[in-house]
Amino acid sequence: MSSPPQALFANRWLPVLLVTPLALLIVIFFYVPIFQAFYWSFFLERPFGGGSIFVGWANFARVLSDPQFWEAGKRTVIFMVIGSSLAVLVPLIPAVAADRQVRLSQPARNVLVWPKGVAGASIGVIFAFIFNPFVGILSPLNQWFPGIWAPGIDGTDAFIMLIAAHVWSGIPFNFVILLAGLQSLPRTMHQAAAMDGAGARRRIFDVQLPLIMPQVFLTPVLEFTESITSAFALVDTMTKGGLGGSTNLLVYKIYVDGFNGYDLSGAATQTAILMVFVVLLTGAQFALLGRRINYER
Amino acid sequence: MGLARYPGDQFLTNVVRIFSETLIPQQMANSLVVAVGDALVTCVLSFISAYALVFFPVRWGSVVFALIPATIMLPLDIRVITTYQVASNVLSPINALLDITGVNGLIAQVFGAPVMLEWSVLNTHFGLIAPLVAHGTGTFLFRQFFLVLPRDLVKAARMDGAGPIRFLFDILLPLSRPSFAALFVLTFLGGWTQYLWPLVASSTPNMQTAVVGLARLAPDTEGVMPDFPLIMAGAVVVSIIPLVMIAVLQRYLVRGLVLSEK
Repeated sequence: MSSPPQALFANRWLPVLLVTPLALLIVIFFYVPIFQAFYWSFFLERPFGGGSIFVGWANFARVLSDPQFWEAGKRTVIFMVIGSSLAVLVPLIPAVAADRQVRLSQPARNVLVWPKGVAGASIGVIFAFIFNPFVGILSPLNQWFPGIWAPGIDGTDAFIMLIAAHVWSGIPFNFVILLAGLQSLPRTMHQAAAMDGAGARRRIFDVQLPLIMPQVFLTPVLEFTESITSAFALVDTMTKGGLGGSTNLLVYKIYVDGFNGYDLSGAATQTAILMVFVVLLTGAQFALLGRRINYER
Repeated sequence: MGLARYPGDQFLTNVVRIFSETLIPQQMANSLVVAVGDALVTCVLSFISAYALVFFPVRWGSVVFALIPATIMLPLDIRVITTYQVASNVLSPINALLDITGVNGLIAQVFGAPVMLEWSVLNTHFGLIAPLVAHGTGTFLFRQFFLVLPRDLVKAARMDGAGPIRFLFDILLPLSRPSFAALFVLTFLGGWTQYLWPLVASSTPNMQTAVVGLARLAPDTEGVMPDFPLIMAGAVVVSIIPLVMIAVLQRYLVRGLVLSEK
């Protein structure tokens, strides 16, 4: 924390009173569940509160020797990496265009934020229709080449569908962040580059893009966590994790194991592993990328 | 087969079916309660806690701040299993505390039975909202804003005889209006679009939110062609409130998104 910036009020109990409600909520609904996930991962928990037995690392051994867990983990990482990269790269194009004030960029800036209001589950429901092999937009493709698009049977097609839906839902946030980054660049740089004879394309690739690298690399950090959250709603509404596990991402598997399979210890153990993974990943990204991509402004 | 090239004239018919054949209208009322509740409570609690941490010399302030980044890293969807367990008995931590400290053993000896407090918030509006509020983004957002305020604001207020409460309501609150709006829009949309938590925390259809209700319109069985016209009309109806909000309050949302990145 930085040093106190301004003159302060002296009062002992008022700040405590003001912080307590939120702190209490965060402890009860955030820290207690997290603690419990780790606690349960060392116990064999019976559903419906039938008591628990300490089993040491047995839950971890069971989960880590389960090929389905590794498959779901692998799918999750692939989803995170591809989904998050595309979710940043795709909005980069309209962001550059909007920054250059091409025609219609004002209404486009408004419209591109709209997906923020469409819930992940709604997107899943809608994309399931759009990509339906019989009535959706790709159905003509199936008439010409029968069976080329079959997200109901082919795991890869279903996975592509999930990624497309995820990227679409991520447009608003990433577009806004990237555009804000582009607009914070001083105009004089453009003018200087233009005077040196750099054309529009040259200015984009040699001036603008290198300068907004902090945004380009920091948005995926937030996007990673976002992709985990968005994944559940999409998987549940589009594929139900089916097709030989090719769309069974870890968040979905945890939900199914816990709420349908009543395997609370297994679900808690996977939750604990996923949480450690996410925290390490986010921490590493902040530590590595945050420092390296720091151009002089 | 294939997608019709031009819109037909059945849109209103399908919308009417949503209102007459499904629970979506009632579920939209739930969504509204959850989204407004989440946004209001988040705004107020974040505002007062950021106020306490920035404008008072609290030694434990950094400890409280250290609790926050994790809440941003680990969204509700990851920890849903145990959050559900906690929500099914919010007082279970107290029970566990009594057990561990041995107080419960003492009570059991004296009164014949240990204390087992129980309070489930599942299937209530409070239960739908509370875990969404347990999040530190808002506190960060307000703190960021408070830190760039002029340093002499408090001094001037004190010279004029304003106490901490007066300062909060008459000076800080009016200044924070744009930040309030940004956070409100952001949390409202977050609350409206939640899926996993309302799905597990509401056990009856009339407590579910509209997004959950929409997803339930699709058939669960494989191979059945869903009633797409009905579902798509539902998707429009369910999304209309947040979409209008975004179109109208655009600049606050953009502000909120940019602030939440920091």
